[in-house]
Amino acid sequence: MKLLLEISQDAYLIAFFLFCIAFIMFVFAMAGHKKKANRVVHERRWGIIAFVITLIGLAAQIVYFITRWIGGGHIPVSNMYEFMSFLSMMIIGAFIVMYLIYRSPVLGVFAVPLAFIIMAYASVFPSEVQPLIPQLDSVWLKIHVTMVALGYAFFGIGFIAGLMHLIRCVNWAPDAPRKPQVWLEMIMVLIVVIIGFTAVVFSYRGAGYEVTIHQRVEEVDKQGQINSKIESTVYTMPPLIAPLNSEPADINPLLGIQLPLMEAPDWMKGVQAARKLNTTVWSIIGGLLLYGLIRLLIRKPIAERIQPLLRGMDPDDLDEISYRSNAIGFPIFTLGGLVFAMIWAQIAWSRFWAWDPKEVWALITWLCYSAYLHLRLSRGFQGTRSSWLSVIGFIIVMFTLLGVNLIISGLHSYAGV
Amino acid sequence: MVLTSFQNTKCECGHQNAVGTVLCEACGKPLYDDDSNHSILEMRYDGVARKSQKASPGLIDSVWNFFSSVKIAVILIVITLVGSSLGTIYPQESQFVNVDASQYYKTTYGTLGHIYYLLGLSHTYESWWFITLLVMIGSSLVICSLDRVLPLYRALHKQKVRKHDQFLKRQRIVYEHELTTDTEQWLSDTEQALRKKRYRITKNDGALMAEKNRFSRWGPYINHIGLIIFLLAVLARSIPGWHMEYYAAFPQGEPRPIPDTPYYLQNDHFTVEYYSDKEMPEQFVKEGRVMPKLFETKATLFRCVSNCDDPVLEPKLEQVTKYDIRVNDPFEYDGILAYQYDFDLTPKLISVKPMLKDQKTGQSFGSFDVKMSNTETQYTVGPYTLELREKYLDFALDEKGTPMTKSQEPNAPAFVFVIKGPNLPESGEPYMYFPLQKDKVRFQEEAINRDIMKKLRIEVASMNDVSISESTSYLNIRKDTAMPFVWVGATISMIGLVMGFYWQHRRIWIRIEHQQLLLGAHTNKNWFGLRNEVARILQATQLEVDAKAIDRGGNKV
Repeated sequence: MKLLLEISQDAYLIAFFLFCIAFIMFVFAMAGHKKKANRVVHERRWGIIAFVITLIGLAAQIVYFITRWIGGGHIPVSNMYEFMSFLSMMIIGAFIVMYLIYRSPVLGVFAVPLAFIIMAYASVFPSEVQPLIPQLDSVWLKIHVTMVALGYAFFGIGFIAGLMHLIRCVNWAPDAPRKPQVWLEMIMVLIVVIIGFTAVVFSYRGAGYEVTIHQRVEEVDKQGQINSKIESTVYTMPPLIAPLNSEPADINPLLGIQLPLMEAPDWMKGVQAARKLNTTVWSIIGGLLLYGLIRLLIRKPIAERIQPLLRGMDPDDLDEISYRSNAIGFPIFTLGGLVFAMIWAQIAWSRFWAWDPKEVWALITWLCYSAYLHLRLSRGFQGTRSSWLSVIGFIIVMFTLLGVNLIISGLHSYAGV
Repeated sequence: MVLTSFQNTKCECGHQNAVGTVLCEACGKPLYDDDSNHSILEMRYDGVARKSQKASPGLIDSVWNFFSSVKIAVILIVITLVGSSLGTIYPQESQFVNVDASQYYKTTYGTLGHIYYLLGLSHTYESWWFITLLVMIGSSLVICSLDRVLPLYRALHKQKVRKHDQFLKRQRIVYEHELTTDTEQWLSDTEQALRKKRYRITKNDGALMAEKNRFSRWGPYINHIGLIIFLLAVLARSIPGWHMEYYAAFPQGEPRPIPDTPYYLQNDHFTVEYYSDKEMPEQFVKEGRVMPKLFETKATLFRCVSNCDDPVLEPKLEQVTKYDIRVNDPFEYDGILAYQYDFDLTPKLISVKPMLKDQKTGQSFGSFDVKMSNTETQYTVGPYTLELREKYLDFALDEKGTPMTKSQEPNAPAFVFVIKGPNLPESGEPYMYFPLQKDKVRFQEEAINRDIMKKLRIEVASMNDVSISESTSYLNIRKDTAMPFVWVGATISMIGLVMGFYWQHRRIWIRIEHQQLLLGAHTNKNWFGLRNEVARILQATQLEVDAKAIDRGGNKV
């Protein structure tokens, strides 16, 4: 068993690096050739090479998945690490489907990094194999969670194509309207913040940073008595924000600043809210630093710098890919995220719907994409506006996936964050 | 577009169209544009007139028009979306049992929490405005669908093969070509190629129409029907008797009645298992975490056959079936569901069988069985009779010093018997009996019963005479008659979604006049797929066509 799990972790790393290489190949396919005459041949050849590397990466991911399933004894989609890595696998799958339909290597330039960013992000969460608690021990774990991931993956490709459409179409001329430029660049900043966050986590993890802070927690027990107890939180990054009612701890100052700077506000109720808020603050700092560095290097907004890569792409095709991908994802998400979710809730929690935050946000995701699909009925919502909806939709998806577990606590809190 | 009732709606082909028709129902000629307009036609619902486009609406028509608008539907969806997100800011009241909401939000979340409570957001999903929104979405679903599906059905049902020039030229996919070969031969080749792609062909005098997957057009409406059934089923749960739900304690070995049914459920044995250190990751073991592996109640279902409603007599029970209730594996019988919900491993007293003894001689007059629930009121032990006067399952004294019971759980049971018999007064003498040793000491049984305990004593001889339940399992008992309808609604809705999203309705029209080929094609989704298909079909008839060139593009904003 131990050996299988080791193979699994190796395969995960191999997949990660293969996707990185595939991404570079896709970029090279799109941007590597300056001479116009040979561009088509160059694009096709390197596009295929990149696609094949992506396929090998997917194979490695499947090895990760199967060995972890056998080694762990249950399907590896039971906590945040496992779900996110499964999601990245599904995104690659959805990308392959869309690539085979539309034969567009430029899609790889954007979709493959989405997958490996999510893979890296997954590694932030504890990756040990955990045994299943009775609430998760059901065939519906396999059915519900995998379907949701597949639905999310198609929404992810819809988002990627929508984002490409926006990058392709935004006008960077000096006299062009500023608003679309600013909003689009905000999305770029958001993506860089997520990358910055993973970078910060891995740097401190590499350095082995660990500080424990104790916190007084008052709990009302079944007899109505208030019990005060001490809980400890392990910080793997310097604690700028300590838990509420925390005891003073002996922490080395960071750059001469005494830590922690403050305590978490009392309305944050999630499991270990303070530690997560601390992590969020760090990722924003890390992300903004990284963004500043990128801006220094390329001396242009990121979206403007990427735009030439997309010159050869017809905006209508991007719009079509985005819509198509969302349209494929919508029934899958409805089935996995609502219908199967309701069936499982009926079996495990005795009611199919109880307005639990996760349920509500799944409904919000669904309503958002239904609004998107209805708006496309009216001709005005195609192209840029539709692409924006597709981007907003995926941000809601990410909030449903991560935000609900990190900020709001509910029945899905056992997802292991 | 403003329509007046005086408008001439007769097309040049002779067809009389209903008011509001955009494209002639027969030949497809655009009725409002002049011939110089080359923009792509608006093909929604094939340009037929809808009820909501009536010229001078009355009150009912106005309501109809309001709900039939997709724009209104989207606005309703967006308001519902924002509204339901508000409900997730703080936990909803419904998540707590026995909590005073007016205080809870203030003390837990401060002023913001109090405002949240005052705004009624602490019960967002039960609030009048949220329910109204759902009802409005429901109405919109019905009216939007009816408004479109009937005219669309009519339009697609009686399509004319020969379409107007303008109709074809103003499709998104258009191909014009001067044929050099025999037109009859070309047409039959094309027909072959189309049939290979599973098109259904109708022909009429040099014109051809190929169509496939028309059923996919009904997908959205089937989906909406499913959603309506779903919403109605959810509403139906408020019909009396359709929905029952409660949480109940089941002490081991004691059948408990399920209200409004002839059934009794008994917890035979409750098990909770935890993962061993070996099965858990090292990190968890270090943190001292405990992970449950199994919660299981071995249960027996009984049916009451006689004495069911008699408060005095013991009901006669007959075993129906046995089931191991686990989390994720509820017990279902005759529409009643039992779910594993919680447990309590504190031992609870079920019954005691004490003896009545003479204090001086130690002689026993016999024993009697005192059950904690359904306690009998009269006992005869030897020459004595015992009459139950008071029963306190969880004995305590209130502020005034009066005896009371704190709960209906036998945590500290106490019984007051009036004993009659030899050497006792005619009217009897009270005896307060505490079965548990801890209570005897705590409440000073000896002092309370000072007089009578000089003569008599109620005592258990050994632990064999005490029956104790090791554990209590808490089950969630439910009945939900509407559930099948919920699932039917969800299934229909899914079928509609799959039909609508994974197939596309494609139509190709061909007209040949004096060697001049005119082709127009339309789909409701996936233009990329259609243009490639049209190009491939034309290529099969030796016409070299670039897929991209025949697509005039419709998404330009």
